[in-house]
Amino acid sequence: MNKNKIYSMWFLIPSIVIFSIFFLIPLVSSLFYSLTVWDFKNFTFVGLDNFKQYFSQKSLYGSIKNTLIYAFLTSGSKVVLAFIIAVLLTSKIKTKDFLRSIVFFPNLVSSLAVGVTFAALMHPTKGLFNLVLEGIGLGRIDWLGNPNLALYSVILTDVWKGVGIATVIYIAGIQCIDKGYYEAADIDGANGWQRLKCITIPLVRPAMNSIIILSLIGGLRSFDLIWSMTGGGPGFATDVMASVVYKQYAAGYYGLSTAGNVIMLVLIAAIAYPLQRYLLSKEEQ
Amino acid sequence: MKLKKLMAAFLVVAMGASTLMGCGLKNNDPNTETTGSTGQGTETTSGGTDAKAFDGVTLTMLKDADSADTGLNAVLALAKEKLGITVEVENRVGGAEGDTIVKTRLASGDMSDLCLYNSGSLLAAIHPADYFIDISGEDFISRLDDTYKKTVTVDGITYGIPFSSSQAGAILYNKTIYQELGLSVPKTWDELIANCEAIKGAGKTALIGTFGDSWTSQLIFLGDNYNILAQDPSFATNFEAGTIKYATSPAGLRSFEKLAQLLPYYNGDYLAATYDDGTDMLANAEGAMWPMLTQALSNIYELYPDKIDDIGVFAIPGDDAANSGLTVWMPGSIYGNKNASNVEAVKAFMEFYVSDEALNAYAGAVLPDGPYCIKGYQLPENSYKAVKEDMQAYFDAGKTNVALEFLTPVKGANCPSICQAVGSGQMTAEEGAKAYDEDCRVQALQLGLNWK
Repeated sequence: MNKNKIYSMWFLIPSIVIFSIFFLIPLVSSLFYSLTVWDFKNFTFVGLDNFKQYFSQKSLYGSIKNTLIYAFLTSGSKVVLAFIIAVLLTSKIKTKDFLRSIVFFPNLVSSLAVGVTFAALMHPTKGLFNLVLEGIGLGRIDWLGNPNLALYSVILTDVWKGVGIATVIYIAGIQCIDKGYYEAADIDGANGWQRLKCITIPLVRPAMNSIIILSLIGGLRSFDLIWSMTGGGPGFATDVMASVVYKQYAAGYYGLSTAGNVIMLVLIAAIAYPLQRYLLSKEEQ
Repeated sequence: MKLKKLMAAFLVVAMGASTLMGCGLKNNDPNTETTGSTGQGTETTSGGTDAKAFDGVTLTMLKDADSADTGLNAVLALAKEKLGITVEVENRVGGAEGDTIVKTRLASGDMSDLCLYNSGSLLAAIHPADYFIDISGEDFISRLDDTYKKTVTVDGITYGIPFSSSQAGAILYNKTIYQELGLSVPKTWDELIANCEAIKGAGKTALIGTFGDSWTSQLIFLGDNYNILAQDPSFATNFEAGTIKYATSPAGLRSFEKLAQLLPYYNGDYLAATYDDGTDMLANAEGAMWPMLTQALSNIYELYPDKIDDIGVFAIPGDDAANSGLTVWMPGSIYGNKNASNVEAVKAFMEFYVSDEALNAYAGAVLPDGPYCIKGYQLPENSYKAVKEDMQAYFDAGKTNVALEFLTPVKGANCPSICQAVGSGQMTAEEGAKAYDEDCRVQALQLGLNWK
């Protein structure tokens, strides 16, 4: 009511306290513990040994590679697939509302449940996928058993599960586009492809950027689906950073797993921050 | 504005409710079950001559859900009757997740009075001196088998008593297939491969692989420890000291070579099949041999009681028939919490658990998967043939040794993944041995061992 009222800085105290306790202090202490061998009670300072460990052991840097493949492929597929679905679902087709619900449905199921279900569907001899493939005369595929294929099978599942939320964001973006543009294009005699290329794609850009950032970060820290489908196996074929950190934590290597978390934090920040800056600068043009 | 206030009020109520529900759930945890009530009916028959020293005392116990509880329940019922101690059992998950639960609860001071946990390397890794009751001075310790006692003794202090019988890491085989093809139990590794070829040639699955549960892929490697120690008796000591490596020791590397060599003989879905699938396949003769812990005998007995005598056991063969034997796994152990509310009752319960009457109650409820770790306590008459005949023969001949994890605290955490990779041909034996050495180096560093 009083426009001249200047809020006291004291109002910031609650949020600063909460932020420090739950974010700043754990962040600083995890940076410290990543330089130690730590068993909750005692710690020995070992310098950068934990980090060296990560980059010298094949199974560990292999997991960094898998994380990147996983994040970029899931993100890329979701961006493209969701756009196609969203365009379809914003066009004048019947049962549009029903189809929208169908597309969004996988998102409502917990990742663990999806993982367990797909692991069963992809079972080499008893799974539905292979029964169908054999039924139509194609051979079996060892979805999760073949080390060269297992990661991509999980990626496929992740895309199936995650494409719904991306579609919803796209639909919101497309519906925000002023109808006037399309009317003007109609008058000018533009065909469907031109309308899509010159109006929909440029104007849906902000929505697309959100999807890229969200799905990429989601992919970089993905764990639950991979763990429930393959447990990082066979061997180390589908190990990602998060599953490695988890396994080390379970083994009691608290210092080493904290170092893994720090690497993950740096990796995600190093990819996501410049990307967002870049995407935003494109958006402003 | 009004809507906002309403919303805020709603959120506060919802948050409060969920917190309360969280607390409520803890008390009504569906996994927490009170056992021991079954003993009440028989109380009058025991005469009630001696006063129960701990009447009305309640202890809590945390155990993994994978360990069978039929035998435990029988003992708990008897403990209620004889000692008056009621034990409330809380189940946790097994495997790596279970380890995390135990470690976290120990560190946060939230451990139950009695804790069921592994013996050997995993015990040493959780600093038992900080958390568990020292039972070195108790009389009942003299009943424990010496080999077993070493696996629950850290820095000269003994902490645990055996939860169940010991077992072996060996090859379980289906006798009907062996008889049908006229095969005999292999005495050497080459004979085993010849048998595999013969069974494969007859159009059957020679080996059951259950790598879908990755821990099962380690059996050939871990169960080969007798053969390593037979060739190099100082392997365990030197390994802990960091002076001998799997990749550079011929005996150690041989274990990985054996694992790699079996690849052609598995069932088609060996990477997806699980432990449960394995028990079904072996009992129903869908596969001839399964490298597994003998605990699977109990699972087979529960599911297919009429087929248990079709199953035999032989040790993982070495290259020299005269010098190979069985690798034995020590059971998990019951440890007492140092900060238990009633330490005397915990000790009394532990003493009772290894007494003859408790052992009889245990053996009456569930048959052993191997000899007991109590001196002089014999296998029951009705034990599985595989245990009474096949396994006992190795013990009688003195050809047994424990798995490496009971001799040294060093065991690489990635062992299941490495064995899975070697067993499925993603890594060669040499690569696997090197990766495992590196993995063990990480663990040694965590244990504070000075490895170069």
